[in-house]
Amino acid sequence: MRNKIVLLMSLFVAVMLLVVGCAGGDDENTIKVWTMNNSMEEFAKKYEEENDVSVEVQVIPWGEVRDKFLTAIASGEGPDVVQVGTTGVPEYASAGMFKDLSEYVGEYENFNPDNFYEGAIGTTKYEGETIGIPFHVDTRVLFYRTDLLADVGYPEGPETWDDMVDASRKLAERGDDQYAIDLPQEDPQYPFMLAWQHGWNYNVDEGASNFEDPKFLEAMSKYKTFYEEGLSQLEEGKELVQAFSEGSKPMFFSGPWDIKTISEGAPEIEGKWDVRVMPGQETNRSMIGGSHFGVFHNSEKVEQSLDFINYLADADTQLEWYKEVNELPANLEAWEDPVLADDPMFSVFGEQLQSTEVLPMITEYTEISEELLKYLEEVYRGGADLESTLEEYRAKVSDILAD
Amino acid sequence: MTKWKYKLMPLFFIGPAVLLLMVFSFAPIFLSLGISFTDLTLIGLADWSKVNFVGFENFVKLFQDEVFLESIFNTFFYVIIGVPLAVSSSLVIALLLSMVGKWLSSTFRLIYYMPSVTNIVAIAVVWGFLYNQQYGLFNYILSLVNIQSVPWLEDPLVAKFSLIILAVWKSNGVSMLIFLAALQSIPRDYYEAADIDGANRWQKFFKITLPSMSFATFFVTVTTVIGWLQFFEEPFVMTDGGPLNGTNSMALYIYQRGFEYNDFGYAAAASFVLFIIVIIATIIQFRFRKKDQTL
Repeated sequence: MRNKIVLLMSLFVAVMLLVVGCAGGDDENTIKVWTMNNSMEEFAKKYEEENDVSVEVQVIPWGEVRDKFLTAIASGEGPDVVQVGTTGVPEYASAGMFKDLSEYVGEYENFNPDNFYEGAIGTTKYEGETIGIPFHVDTRVLFYRTDLLADVGYPEGPETWDDMVDASRKLAERGDDQYAIDLPQEDPQYPFMLAWQHGWNYNVDEGASNFEDPKFLEAMSKYKTFYEEGLSQLEEGKELVQAFSEGSKPMFFSGPWDIKTISEGAPEIEGKWDVRVMPGQETNRSMIGGSHFGVFHNSEKVEQSLDFINYLADADTQLEWYKEVNELPANLEAWEDPVLADDPMFSVFGEQLQSTEVLPMITEYTEISEELLKYLEEVYRGGADLESTLEEYRAKVSDILAD
Repeated sequence: MTKWKYKLMPLFFIGPAVLLLMVFSFAPIFLSLGISFTDLTLIGLADWSKVNFVGFENFVKLFQDEVFLESIFNTFFYVIIGVPLAVSSSLVIALLLSMVGKWLSSTFRLIYYMPSVTNIVAIAVVWGFLYNQQYGLFNYILSLVNIQSVPWLEDPLVAKFSLIILAVWKSNGVSMLIFLAALQSIPRDYYEAADIDGANRWQKFFKITLPSMSFATFFVTVTTVIGWLQFFEEPFVMTDGGPLNGTNSMALYIYQRGFEYNDFGYAAAASFVLFIIVIIATIIQFRFRKKDQTL
């Protein structure tokens, strides 16, 4: 009996040692990288060969980023280099996930803020700290059917929101089940873009009173118009590519990935569609998204990590990355390459990226923007009064910000 | 010495199970109860000094929170309509399966069990197409008999029913198997005796079949009620709680607060309210069961 217990105990200890042993095993020349893109592992090989460093890439699917980051923050056990999407920056930065890179910006040539789009740099700043270096960028433009828009007098697409409303009304008049545009009902960034384009701005110091601005009201009443007059379909209707191809929804706002989706999914309308920069009212600012690479707060391999980030921030690297996975480079120099500059569609994204606005860099942004969608739904689906609903929304926002 | 040994022995046997239960079930429950009295957020997770004790504030706020109250209402709506439907339909399916031949029975058992093992995301995609107001199969079939298009997922009330139909369809398989097993364990002698006494089909069903299956029915009802109180997957993948919060359930609301807005303290308080409701519902059912037995 006693022997058996001893045997069991020693087995237990052996298993524990094995587990501990597996957790370790890193050496001086290995940096751990967390990224969201499958292609990174292959991509980092070139860097490994040139620098005699081993880069241990762990790919985290976008859907699991939050869980993974939460665990890392709570346990203090993270990688050395970590990729972060722009919208997550305030939340994770406020929890101290990233090392402040401000003091290193001058040290590495590729860290120079002038190398990147202004908006991209804006999303790396949180409360005066620089939490990462921009890697790829993302924005929204207008996709439209050139032939159908030409029929209603806008061959180049609507230039302003007044044109947009006018064109939309004409397009919706074509008959039953004919709409003008497919507005992104679930995209929390869309109402903000619409408001920016009407000259509104979010000022962090003003909190909830930002939403008192009459320009915000004007933008939101436009939001409502599109559903009220049936210019955009309220229900989940036909699948977008199909609707775009048959012309029942000849316009929509989206990002660079949809160029491929449309050209592959609807080859029959080739040459009959195009992209253009956002319609402007006072401005034509779009959102800026994308991702950065930063250093985890307690990494012991800061220098190696920064060197790897310096490589990723390089114009050539980002151009290569674009060719590989079609994510747009944050580095301005990369955009001078004919691959991007001469591409009739991607160059539009380059142009739009010059006119972007940074989403409010506050931890409460997620909640504020999601709540706005819900309140707007009360208006366009529930039939509530717009002005009083926005008033309730302001009360909600001050509540959220007060916590 | 040996006396001690005999006393300790059982502890060794149940030790591992108790330990696992402690670490993975009881500890989290007490932990979340603790968290529900704090204002823990993402920042607090990294720096414990920024977590404050707030007393019952979270609970007070919860019961003033319209969205939460609405999600409680929706959850009860799901339970009250969904549970009887789910239990009775799986019982009917089990009865029908026990009547038909072996080959037919095993084929249909497979067909009815399939939804339970299918990935919920795949289900969501397919049912999303079926429920589509414009080109969905359901509305197409209805249009053949001149019924106007139904806003399956676009109207707060209709959407609740749509999700109930989906959930009943998905959950039938497991309950059906339990009922089938119970049906097969009823001794044939009872029926023979009843036949001799000249009982008809219905009398046999109500006097023999149903009473013999009372434990299976009880088990299925309890697990189904608990499952439906924690209604989560269906609204999560199909509607995300919309339209107008019409399909939001308590479990989904807890998820939204905790893992979308990082409001851990608040979400923990909400999950504790759900926990209490589940416990109360289960206790009530056990009470009914006891009464049943004394009769």
